[in-house]
Amino acid sequence: MERIPLQCLGIESTAHTFGVGIVTNDGRILSDARDVYVSAPGTGIHPREAAEHHSEVAALVLLEALKKAGVSAAKLSGIAVALGPGLGPCLRVGATVARALSAYYRIPLIGVNHAIGHIEIGTLTTGAKDPLVVLVSGGHTAIAAFSGGRWRIFGETEDITIGNLYDMFAREINLPSPAGPEIERLAAKTSDFLPLPYVVKGNDVSYSGLLTASLSKLRSGAKLEDVCYSMQEVACSMLAEAVERSLAYTAKKELLLTGGVAANKILQQKLEEVAKLHDARFYVVGSPYTGDNGPQIAWTGMLALRAGLTTGINEARVRPKWRLEDVDIPWRDGSA
Amino acid sequence: MVQPKLIYKGAEAEIYLESWHGQLVIRKSRVVKPYRIVELDEAIRRSRTAHEATMMQEVRKLGVPVPAIQHIDPESWTLIMEYIQGPTLKEELYVLPANKKRSRCSDLGGILGQMHEGGIVHGDMTISNVLSEDGRLFMIDFGLGEFSKETEDKGVDLLLLNRAIKSTHYAFHAPLFKAFLKGYSKAVGKKRCDETITKMREIERRGRYFERG
Repeated sequence: MERIPLQCLGIESTAHTFGVGIVTNDGRILSDARDVYVSAPGTGIHPREAAEHHSEVAALVLLEALKKAGVSAAKLSGIAVALGPGLGPCLRVGATVARALSAYYRIPLIGVNHAIGHIEIGTLTTGAKDPLVVLVSGGHTAIAAFSGGRWRIFGETEDITIGNLYDMFAREINLPSPAGPEIERLAAKTSDFLPLPYVVKGNDVSYSGLLTASLSKLRSGAKLEDVCYSMQEVACSMLAEAVERSLAYTAKKELLLTGGVAANKILQQKLEEVAKLHDARFYVVGSPYTGDNGPQIAWTGMLALRAGLTTGINEARVRPKWRLEDVDIPWRDGSA
Repeated sequence: MVQPKLIYKGAEAEIYLESWHGQLVIRKSRVVKPYRIVELDEAIRRSRTAHEATMMQEVRKLGVPVPAIQHIDPESWTLIMEYIQGPTLKEELYVLPANKKRSRCSDLGGILGQMHEGGIVHGDMTISNVLSEDGRLFMIDFGLGEFSKETEDKGVDLLLLNRAIKSTHYAFHAPLFKAFLKGYSKAVGKKRCDETITKMREIERRGRYFERG
């Protein structure tokens, strides 16, 4: 008789965060251990330094996750790991740990797409069934809906992501990244709006012009708070419009916001308004799971495992540019 | 007298069918977006209304079929234009036989090519923004249109269209986009068509997982 998978461990190491989580087959999150690499103020993430950080903390984070969950490694049903997309050196740390665990304990390995992880933890923590998904983070600004066995992209950024916009702006003014919360706090101090470029192309957005113009306003003497407020209003309104267009196009009745930038309250408010306009229910991923985390990988791994998908140790190579729309999803009901 | 009837609620405008000086017309009204602050919202709606009318008149001069504009009122964010019955190409592609599907896409390639050659890009090029009246295609929704001869902007039109076909008609995506390119290439020439396709691929790669150094 085939064994029913009971608990799956997931390892996340695509960018800043080294995270390990353990989930059960009915979606209970038993543990969520993380350690985040913080870059020096005024600098961005350095892939090699972040990878060194991950190597140093990996064993401790792993032990913490097992201990909190009260599970011994040998009893796990699967070891899931985010193989991409992400920064190569960071991804390799997670992949190495996962392959070692899988080989030593003879537990099936499951290679997971990190972006799918953001979506699945979003539906798990909100109960959304068939949403239009807005995935916003340092690595993504994408609008997707499920159809015909895969997540299909309906809109995305044509240059930098909304997370990059915030981080690159923050770097110029010497804030440590990720800097979203600090920019949001500064923006809340004012309501003096400065006109900045608003660029929507179909269901797509483009943020590079907004970044340049915001920095140039700052250099020409505008108040930091006013620039933060105006940049945030324009950036979030642009995305809200692109989402509204996608919602009208797909006629989905649920809207799910997920990923690191999902924590931004202004973006949440705007998307809630968009959902209301189209009689859709609005969901935001559970608050501890906006940022990168182990449970998102563990849960996606569990779904794959239940659908009979595993990855051979020799095939578990990192895929820094793995696109979310290239992943077959046999565990979801297709809908047109 | 026909009562104004809401026939479509789009992402940025409401479309009414109504009687105007004795003829059936479309009234397109850009509505308030509660998610934008007032300063930004009014500026966007006013400029897009005026801009859309200009673009439609310019596109029409190139010989590309678009509904005729009857009246413009930027202060109430409203355009009144000729009524084209539809359906949208998106809807029609679901029901047409395969050869007709391809010929429609090839026709669309021809008229988009004609626009691009005339120095205008659509900016929101999806199969929902094309109406098919008795097999004749009409372009609509020019609020994001631009005067541009840049390969980048043309590439965006191709990218948006490619994705629109891929996301809703994925089973036929490859032959339909190929048919579109056939028509497009005929209108703009093979060299320019190839350049634009290359640019489209480049833009597509750029937006995906962005790595910072």
